[in-house]
Amino acid sequence: MESELENSEVARICLPFLRDTQNPDGGWGFRPGTASRVEATCWALLALWEPSEQSSEDRVRVHRARDFLQTTQLSDGSWPAAPGEETGCWVTSLCCLALNAIGDQTQKSAIESGSRWICDDWPSDSTPWRRFLARLASHNDVAPMNTSYRGWGWTPGTSSWVEPTSFALLALERPESPEIARKAKERRSLATSLLFDRVCPGGGWNAGNPVVYGAAGEPGVVPTVWSLLALRNVAARAEIIQSLDWLQRTAANVQSPGSLALAQICLRTYGQSQPGMAPLSDVLKRSEFLDNTLVAAWAVLACGSDFWLGKSGARKVAA
Amino acid sequence: MTLRNQTLTPSFQRPPSQVVIRRVGSYQAEIASLMFESLAPFGLQVKGKSILLKPNLVGLDPEGFINTHPTVIAAARECFLRMGASQVLVGDGPALDRDTEAILESVKLREHLGPLRNVFVDLNLDDVERVTFPTRASRLRELFLPKTCMGVDFVVSMAKLKTHHWAGVTLSMKNMFGIVPGACYGWPKNVLHWAGIDRAILDINAAARPDFAIVDGIVGMEGNGPTQGQPKASGVLVFGNDPVAVDATCCRVMGLRPEGVKYLSQAGTMLGHVQVDKIQQLGETIESTRSSFAVLPAFQSLK
Repeated sequence: MESELENSEVARICLPFLRDTQNPDGGWGFRPGTASRVEATCWALLALWEPSEQSSEDRVRVHRARDFLQTTQLSDGSWPAAPGEETGCWVTSLCCLALNAIGDQTQKSAIESGSRWICDDWPSDSTPWRRFLARLASHNDVAPMNTSYRGWGWTPGTSSWVEPTSFALLALERPESPEIARKAKERRSLATSLLFDRVCPGGGWNAGNPVVYGAAGEPGVVPTVWSLLALRNVAARAEIIQSLDWLQRTAANVQSPGSLALAQICLRTYGQSQPGMAPLSDVLKRSEFLDNTLVAAWAVLACGSDFWLGKSGARKVAA
Repeated sequence: MTLRNQTLTPSFQRPPSQVVIRRVGSYQAEIASLMFESLAPFGLQVKGKSILLKPNLVGLDPEGFINTHPTVIAAARECFLRMGASQVLVGDGPALDRDTEAILESVKLREHLGPLRNVFVDLNLDDVERVTFPTRASRLRELFLPKTCMGVDFVVSMAKLKTHHWAGVTLSMKNMFGIVPGACYGWPKNVLHWAGIDRAILDINAAARPDFAIVDGIVGMEGNGPTQGQPKASGVLVFGNDPVAVDATCCRVMGLRPEGVKYLSQAGTMLGHVQVDKIQQLGETIESTRSSFAVLPAFQSLK
């Protein structure tokens, strides 16, 4: 009962904000009145598609958001982070994840070309030539890591990092086309190994440097949540248990609504209790969440059904 | 006219730069009034102008030696408002943690500035515009940069006095990496590393052209900076109208040779002054404020 009240309070704060801030082009900016961006649109779309909260007006909003995503897809299948950018990047994974989650059959080819782009986007730090050079370098013990594992970078032609790797793993969970499924299988295996290689010594993840110059990296809530969600199908490993334990302890002191919402989603997904965490609605009110679309969307999803992670309760969008 | 609208002048054609060093014992001191006095010699024309203060907010920092201290940020805001600025925004795009609000909470910025909604701009999530680099020092050629940063009349880089494990030092020029939006380039902004950190620093500073620099060295960081080093109480604030000169002076205060810092030595040819005889030193002397900062083995040559 208490959690239902808390959920409806969060929805009361965040849903009107999301409903009121959709741009005429169907997308959302990171803040009200700013240009539509793919990332903000993906999260707002998922929040409004949340089965427990959806109204018929929301369905229209989601359709408009879907159309925005359709018009912003680049010819190579990727999505750019900002209007005017001609190169796609990590947000491609979010688009595939979001369009997949709403189960819209009209988006099948968009998802397929996006997934193909993700599969073909290899990071540049772990090419055979780079690995050869790294072996010769005098400073190769600065941030020791296994370079035979390969994930995804934030932008093409750069290094693998924890968050874009996690997003790509989530996006490539259930490819329909056999060709993409085959490619995705290889990429997922390498990327899963990479995430385990990048766990911080005490559990949890940071951006992707668990140790630098011999000093253990500090994990962060956000990368830890995405990694744990991406690895939820291999939950029995010791690194996962240790990281969940870290997250559970840390979440009790989190005072920012974005991290708190994400921690809530993650711990619930793993069926973990959330002891001592501040009520999300209180933190949202106190912090003003700086009018951040992502935070509002994550907060709605934190009170929802996890449909976007493939849980039951998912609906299908009408064409 | 903001520096961004002026063409780059080779350093040998520039007048000498001014740098003020002030001794400040702790964050409990009367920083705003001291800062107001320190800004006076510069005769800054900021009346009616919009200003962006760009602090260094790298990560969660409950102990207060990683990020520009909120007391210093609040003091600068108060000073520029007192000098007649029409609007003084505070903005940064943290490089390692995408939950900017968590960082603001950890440094208690709200307690120092009041409600942040119309004061703080998360540059990671700001609207962006395509900016072509006039310097072409790196292979980047252009980046999408925050409209707030490119649109205000006056930008103040407010760095922390720190050593850095890749660049040697991180001061007011390296601090400008924080304007590069994470929503486009990620956390960290890895595209800058691939372009070469030193060269990317030059490009970004040539494009964004901070008009003024304030470095918080009341407590800085030595060793494995920017986040894993040790606190170093240097007890100084450094101010200047040329970020290159400010950074060169800070290096000297840290007991390091600015000519050995790659990006600084190159910046000394086109963005400002590194040479001592081109910097008009006001306030305390370098000698009287110098304290030797520990550096990682890779940067021992800076000593």
